[in-house]
Amino acid sequence: MNENLFTSFSTPTLMGLPIIIMIIAFPALLYPTSNRLISNRIRTLQQYLINLILKQMMAIHSPKGRTWSLMLMSLIIFIASTNLLGLLPHTFTPTTQLSINLGLAIPLWAGAVILGFRYKFKTSVSHFLPQGTPILLIPMLIIIETISLFIQPMALAVRLTANITAGHLLMHLIGAATLALFSISTSTALITFIILLLLTMLEFAVALIQAYVFTLLVSLYLHDNT
Amino acid sequence: MAGPEADSQFQFTGIKKYFNSYTLTGRMNCVLTTCGGIAQLVLYFKLRPKKTPAVKAS
Repeated sequence: MNENLFTSFSTPTLMGLPIIIMIIAFPALLYPTSNRLISNRIRTLQQYLINLILKQMMAIHSPKGRTWSLMLMSLIIFIASTNLLGLLPHTFTPTTQLSINLGLAIPLWAGAVILGFRYKFKTSVSHFLPQGTPILLIPMLIIIETISLFIQPMALAVRLTANITAGHLLMHLIGAATLALFSISTSTALITFIILLLLTMLEFAVALIQAYVFTLLVSLYLHDNT
Repeated sequence: MAGPEADSQFQFTGIKKYFNSYTLTGRMNCVLTTCGGIAQLVLYFKLRPKKTPAVKAS
């Protein structure tokens, strides 16, 4: 039972070779591209959705922050599509791996922080001390703010990993419970199945929300530093 | 959030002009001083010579 529960999170291989790179690159194939200004319906819908998210997310940014538009849009589309594809049965979800989420979070956070220190040194440094702090609390608060700064990328990565992994585990467990209860008590199995349906709907929402939260937080770190 | 334009509303004198938690400059100086102090402490404990106990003749 234990082995079955976690085997869906192990790195997939094909004839002994790891195919994780192909799995990470796969969602890009699902989005059609065109060199025409006005294309077909699918592309128009895709452009409309991307513009909607882009305008909402980049509205608060200065022109310097808006240079990150392509990066942030790619990020949200990648995480959202990866999470949604992971809800299909027997698929591998890269965002359940902490290594991949750390690989996304740390460079983006570091890029924003380095940008802030490079172009707005005084403002970036003064962020470590909230305005109006009593004198006796200043050293302690600076240490606390430094720790909270360095925890930001860890929190970003762990939040995404934990949410997606927990959701998948729950679905796996409740699905197994439904199957097991089917031969014992059909009515209980039906209730468990309804719970599974509701959980699946929740996981759809969580998949999109976690992508949005990740990208929004990166965008906020960028906004603080530009 | 305090900015350069808001710093002028605070009129500090003496050491508070450079070390306070209201103006950008004051906050920056406090942060740099605290970080510098911690760095000096770490360096001191790392670089101080370790006292080896004298070996007793048997």
